[in-house]
Amino acid sequence: MLKLFTSSQSGDLNIVAIWMFLIFVAVTLYITFWAAKKTQSTNNFFTAGGNITGLQNGLAISGDFMSAASFLGISGLVFLSGFDGLIYSIGFLVGWPIILLLIAEPLRNLGKYGFSDVVSFRLDEKPVRILSAFGSLSTVILYLIAQMVGAGKLIEILFGLPYITAEIIVGILMILYVTFGGMLATTWVQIIKAILLLSGATIIAVLVLNQFDFSFNQFFDAAVNTHDNGAAIMAPGGLITDPVSAISLGLALMFGTAGLPHILMRFFTVSDAKQARRSVAFATGFIGYFYILTFIIGFGAIILVSNNPAYLSDSGNILGNNNMAAIHLAHAVGGNILLGFISAVAFATILAVVSGLTLAGASAISHDLYANVINKGANDKSQMVVSKIATIGLGLMAIILGIIFEKQNVAFMVGLAFAIAASTNFPILFLSIYWKRVTTRGVITGGSAGLISCIILVIFGPIVWVDILNNAQAIFPYKYPALFSMTITFFGIWFFSITDNSLKAAK
Amino acid sequence: MRNEDLFKRLIDTKKRIIRPLLFLTVIPYLAFIYVIAFYPNYFSNMLLNSNVSIGIILGFLLIIVIWIVTLLYVYLANKHIEPIIKDLNN
Repeated sequence: MLKLFTSSQSGDLNIVAIWMFLIFVAVTLYITFWAAKKTQSTNNFFTAGGNITGLQNGLAISGDFMSAASFLGISGLVFLSGFDGLIYSIGFLVGWPIILLLIAEPLRNLGKYGFSDVVSFRLDEKPVRILSAFGSLSTVILYLIAQMVGAGKLIEILFGLPYITAEIIVGILMILYVTFGGMLATTWVQIIKAILLLSGATIIAVLVLNQFDFSFNQFFDAAVNTHDNGAAIMAPGGLITDPVSAISLGLALMFGTAGLPHILMRFFTVSDAKQARRSVAFATGFIGYFYILTFIIGFGAIILVSNNPAYLSDSGNILGNNNMAAIHLAHAVGGNILLGFISAVAFATILAVVSGLTLAGASAISHDLYANVINKGANDKSQMVVSKIATIGLGLMAIILGIIFEKQNVAFMVGLAFAIAASTNFPILFLSIYWKRVTTRGVITGGSAGLISCIILVIFGPIVWVDILNNAQAIFPYKYPALFSMTITFFGIWFFSITDNSLKAAK
Repeated sequence: MRNEDLFKRLIDTKKRIIRPLLFLTVIPYLAFIYVIAFYPNYFSNMLLNSNVSIGIILGFLLIIVIWIVTLLYVYLANKHIEPIIKDLNN
């Protein structure tokens, strides 16, 4: 890294990036100030008053989904192994028609702030809310840690700020947005960032393709001729080594998206089911376009970054790591100005995504646990106070956990979050909408079994057991548990529902 | 009684629209994953005289299919589902 950013270039980089970022912060804080005046009730805090349009919500949803981790991570994966990056992109994208066709409308019609409203609609409220809140909070916190650690490292590299300073800046800005501006401010932060990120990625992709006269033939030829693995980058390769992993990952990606609480809560910001549908159609369009861009960026980096000495260490590896491929490419095609712009966008992206996650976590704490379990019948004012305290608490926790996990490998946490979303949140939501015979006992037993099996299988799997805990051999041989944990959940809910003879089940 | 009829029509219409679109999404996706899982070499075949593999072409086609499914659903829902909901609300 040092070679690129502490040379004469670094002054220019920091000025462009820092100015861009300061402008973003100024605009978003102004929006927060404006939104705070409109965010006086719990309903407004979590749903932005239900006045967001389909297009705005589509942008905000795609903003929630296009995290810095997915922008840098997927383009880095394409840079490393070509085709394999496409498996992730398509898996993430295919979750969207599933949400649209099966989840969005019933969710909008039956729920108030989150998916737990729908799950507890016909069931015994207390235990079901507690389970949903656990499912939401574990997804949100794992995702949050992964984002915070990634954020700290990225900001350290791009802006030259110490890791701890970066964590504190991100945490405090996020707390300000969410506590004062609630969903309204979070949505607008997300919209602005989505537009910036889509524009930035478009500029890089166009500048790259321009070098090949916009001919995909020439473009892919150049990539195959440059990459060490040659034509192998155009086919499935090292990412997935066995059929079980391929199917398990495929399921986690497809159904995990449909169980992410910070995404599902966005369906309550629009006025009705019609706007909810429009939001998903817009979001799918933007996200699909974004993945095509990351694919072009990854291949562009193979051609323009992988053998340019300016971006390589003395040992011939890319400076930083593979996740820096998109950042280096921005510099290669657009100089320091584009590099600064992309750096500022990456920072903005992190802020927007952690804000959305924190809001979803605060909703699980204040709406599910506080207002419906601990203090049933709590008035709006006290629920609002709890929401704000929960936001501040989650923000501080994110800063502290971000600092604790600095030196850890947190990549598996996103995978685990998706696995939990696919094996707990999605099945309980899906079955409580579509299966009439589902009972409280079934949901609680099956849902908890899915949640626990996910965590156990990831701990005993190759990533944690071998790579992090340094054991010789994994007890559970697969990296992705979803195939097994989803089966456990669905079977558990089915079995413990049909054998449930209680009075409540008969209702 | 009339409301119940309308409600039944709403459910039937929804099923008729959603089922085929769901198949159109899930089957190609599972097929894509299935080939990656069991016949990864098939995807490495190149289109004639180029360095563009079948896997990449099919991957991009899948993105387009997903786009079409979502747009088609919004169109069909506005045309066939929304009027029934409107009647129900009246």
